[in-house]
Order: sequence, then C-alpha cells, then structure tokens
Amino acid sequence: MSATRSGGSVLRGVATVVAFTLIVVPIAMVVVAAFSPKDFFQFPPPGFSLRWFVEFFRLDNMRGAFALSVELALASATIATMLGTLAALFLARRGGTVAALLQSLFLAPLVFPTIILGVALLLLYKTIGMPVLPGLLLAHCVVGLPYGFRTVLASAQALDPALEEAGESLGAGPLRTFFLVTLPLIWPGVLSGWLFAFIVSFGELNTALFLTGPGVTTLPIEIFSYLQFQGSQLVIAAASTVQIALIVMLVAVIERVVGIARITRAR
Amino acid sequence: MKAKWTWFLLAPPLALALVFFVVPVVYLFWVSLHAASSSELYGAALTLRNYADVLGDSFYLGIVRRTLGVAAVILGLCLVVGYPVAYFVALLPPRRRMLALLVLLFPLMVSNVVRAYGWVALLERRGVVNTTLRDLGIIDAPLDLLYTTSAVVVALMTILLPYMVISIANTLAALDRRYEEAAQALGAGPVRTFLHVTLPLSTPGIASGTLLVFLLTLSAYVTITLLGGPRSKLLVSLIYDNVTAFQWPRAAALAFVLLALALAFTGLLLALLRPGRVQGAGR
Repeated sequence: MSATRSGGSVLRGVATVVAFTLIVVPIAMVVVAAFSPKDFFQFPPPGFSLRWFVEFFRLDNMRGAFALSVELALASATIATMLGTLAALFLARRGGTVAALLQSLFLAPLVFPTIILGVALLLLYKTIGMPVLPGLLLAHCVVGLPYGFRTVLASAQALDPALEEAGESLGAGPLRTFFLVTLPLIWPGVLSGWLFAFIVSFGELNTALFLTGPGVTTLPIEIFSYLQFQGSQLVIAAASTVQIALIVMLVAVIERVVGIARITRAR
Repeated sequence: MKAKWTWFLLAPPLALALVFFVVPVVYLFWVSLHAASSSELYGAALTLRNYADVLGDSFYLGIVRRTLGVAAVILGLCLVVGYPVAYFVALLPPRRRMLALLVLLFPLMVSNVVRAYGWVALLERRGVVNTTLRDLGIIDAPLDLLYTTSAVVVALMTILLPYMVISIANTLAALDRRYEEAAQALGAGPVRTFLHVTLPLSTPGIASGTLLVFLLTLSAYVTITLLGGPRSKLLVSLIYDNVTAFQWPRAAALAFVLLALALAFTGLLLALLRPGRVQGAGR
C-alpha cells in the first residue's frame, strides 16, 4: 500500500470518529441529563434519579402532548399507509407520463419544504374554518404518505404478477386475491411504511408548528415552546428521552420484523 | 386487474395529495399576489407589491444572503466531513456496514427538536462545554456560544450529516470495484483514480445528499430558532414572524422566495452534477 493510500485511510478513520461523536453525543447527553438528581445538568452525572420523568408525567401539558403525539402518529401512519398502499398498487404495473407524474406527486412531500406546507395549510384551514385536530391529522397524513407509498411500491413492483393471476384464475375475486395473495406478499413493505410514517409523524415539527392550537399540542412542539419560554430545564431532557425511547422501541420492532438491511436502504 | 375498478384505488390518495398539498400551495401563491388587509386574511387587489418589497428591501435581501451563506457553509462541511465517512462506511464488511448505517439512521428518526436541545444543553452558559472548560481552568467566565450563527451551523450540520453520509455510502457500496482496479491497472495512482473514477461515479449519492441537506436547512425553523436566538434569523424565521403577525400576503411571498431558492438550487445541482448520466447508478 502506498503512502497516500494509508494517509487516506487514516483521514477516513479520523473523520468517521469525529462525525459519529458529533452526531451521537448531543443525543446521548440528553438521555444522561434526564436521569440527573440535581436541578441542573452536571457532567459526569452526580447520581441517578427518575424525578424528571415523574415531573414529566405530572405536568398536564407534557402528558397531554405525549398522548396526542402517540394518537396522532397511530392514526396518521395508518391512514397514510392505507392510502399509500392504494396508490402503490395502482402505480406498480403502470408506465407512461401520467404514472410518472402521479408517482412524483405522491413522493413530493419528501423533498417539498414542509414549512411552506405548514403555512399553506394554516391559511387554507383559516379560510375554510377547519377545526385544529382534524387539520393537524390531515397534515401528518400528507407528510407520512410518501413513506407508506414508497416502501409498498418497492414491494409491489417486486411481486410476481403470475401469483395474482393464479389467484384470479382459480376463481378468487379482486378483493379475495388482494387479501389472500397480494397483501401477505407485500406485508413487509406495508409494515415498514407504517413504521416510518409513525416515526415521521411522532417527530414532526414544521407543519405542527403552525397547526397546533391551545390544548392541542404535540410533544415536539411542547418541548419547543417550553425551551423557548421557560428555558432548558431537565424536564425537557426527560420529555426528549421519552421521545427517543419510543423510537428505539420502534426500531427494534422494525429490526425484528423486517430486518436492518431493509431500513438502511429505505431512506 | 380490471381497469374499471382500479381507478377507485387511486381516488383516495389522489384526493389527499390534491386537496391538502397541491391546493393549499396554489392558494398560498394566490394570496402572495394580494395586498395586505387589516380585516380579512388578504386584500382584494391583485399586486406584485409583496415580491417587490421583499426583493427591493436591503433587510430582506440581507437575510436571503445570510440564509444562502449559512446553507453553503453547512453543505460544504457536510461534503468535506461526510465523504470520507461515507467512504469508510462503504468499505466496511456488510454486517458492520449495516450497523454503521443504522447508527447514522437512528438520529434521523429522533425529532430535530430533541437533537437541537442536545446542542443547547452543550452550548448554553451553564452547559457542558462551558462548565468543562471552567473546571479545566481554561476560561474564567462562561463563553457565549449559544445564540450565534456558528451554533446554528454546527448543530444543523451535525443534524443533517447522516443524510449526506448515508446517500454517498449507499452509492459507494453499490459501486463496481472493478472500475477502480481497472484504473489502477492502467497506471493511475490512488489520487488520480479517486478524482477520475470514484468521485464521478459517486455523483448520484453526492447529488441526493446535497439536495437533502440544502432543502432541510432552508426549513429548519426550530433548530435555527433554538440555537440562533433572535439575532441569527434566517429566511424561514421571517416567514414564521410574518405568520404570527398575521401578515399573510407577506408571509406567502417569503414562502415562495424560499421555494424559488429551493427549486433554483435543485435545477442548478441537477444540471451541474447530472447524476442520471452515471450508468447503473446504485441507490
């Protein structure tokens, strides 16, 4: 190996250590801080306590925001994945300009600046008098739609059409074929799409920023306004750790059910 | 499947995408073309005044310039740090590569407000960096690290870095190693091989990583607000401020300036890097 080559690999190693440290440390810090027994964060931690978690669940705002975030993520992920599956089944075997346009439309919320979507929806809702909760739910559905659509589309395109044809030629109607043949085969795509849509909704900021209202606040927005108006207190660390813990659980589920290989390629 | 009923499959997702994505954005554009009104959401008269105000005002132009500057620095750092990391990850054996990618992917699933809070806890006056430096005797008084443009750059860069690394690493891992071997067999040194073979072949990954980092920087309101404070505002902060001040047409016009920046950058990037020309490009 030449000198430049090993120099290159040292550089790569150093860059990797620095990058992983910068990415992981702020998150790890939050989790460590959440278990602090003191009023302010100290490093190394002076002890271990669950007082900030008790405080988190004692505060009505925080508890309510957490519950709403979970409900919203469950509902919006389910709707987004159902609609995404319909769109994916429709587009899986179609080519041409219209199909390509539709596909871009369903994927567009992935790259479209969500802050603009937030303002646009708020303005529309104000004009038509949409209540806060359904408005927020629909926004999360739009943001989650590409995730449900994309993973199911990949599964549906990998599906052998002969299997569906076999189902139909054996006398099964379209619905029966779907539930007995198609759905079991695309299930991993549907499930990972749902989990992604859930995760995205659970951490969503840019549309919720505009669309939450008094008494209807999601956990990320509650954390944000608490940080802005009451400063960084350790109950925020506990709230953040609750957020992280739920994501860890979901990632573990994805890993068990669909496998790591599938997730790392899904984004 | 029969063509006549499959169109019913399309109707619900299409309705959602049209009514709650396309329609509101078109409506926002329509509002941006109207005068402000004190009693209604927007005035009756059609006008280009909002755009003229934004593009003719040195305050707004300064913010646009600062936004582009901050985005350029974040992008540059993500490329310079992200590429070697992606290379390192791509060369790992498959199982360890999966694990590395998972460690990179996990932070992207955690809400950005949590990750921004991590940086607040590190950088604030009683934060970890200041107390550690004081305990080590390096500083006497705490440094004002928070509420600076640098804090925004550092935090956003690390928040978005995984997108860049994952995009490039996936392209590099899918790359056929025989191209590099062929170049070396033909006498090219490692540097020449990298510049003329590896780098051009990884443009699809660079393009998608760059695009994600740039677009997400533009709308990162929460991170910018928590780390930049009131003095380091970017374009997205002005949109939010105008919304909370009920200046709907002005907010709408600013939103479309932001969208125009996003589209111009995307077009420029695709024209310059032409990621599509790489044959058999990996994901």
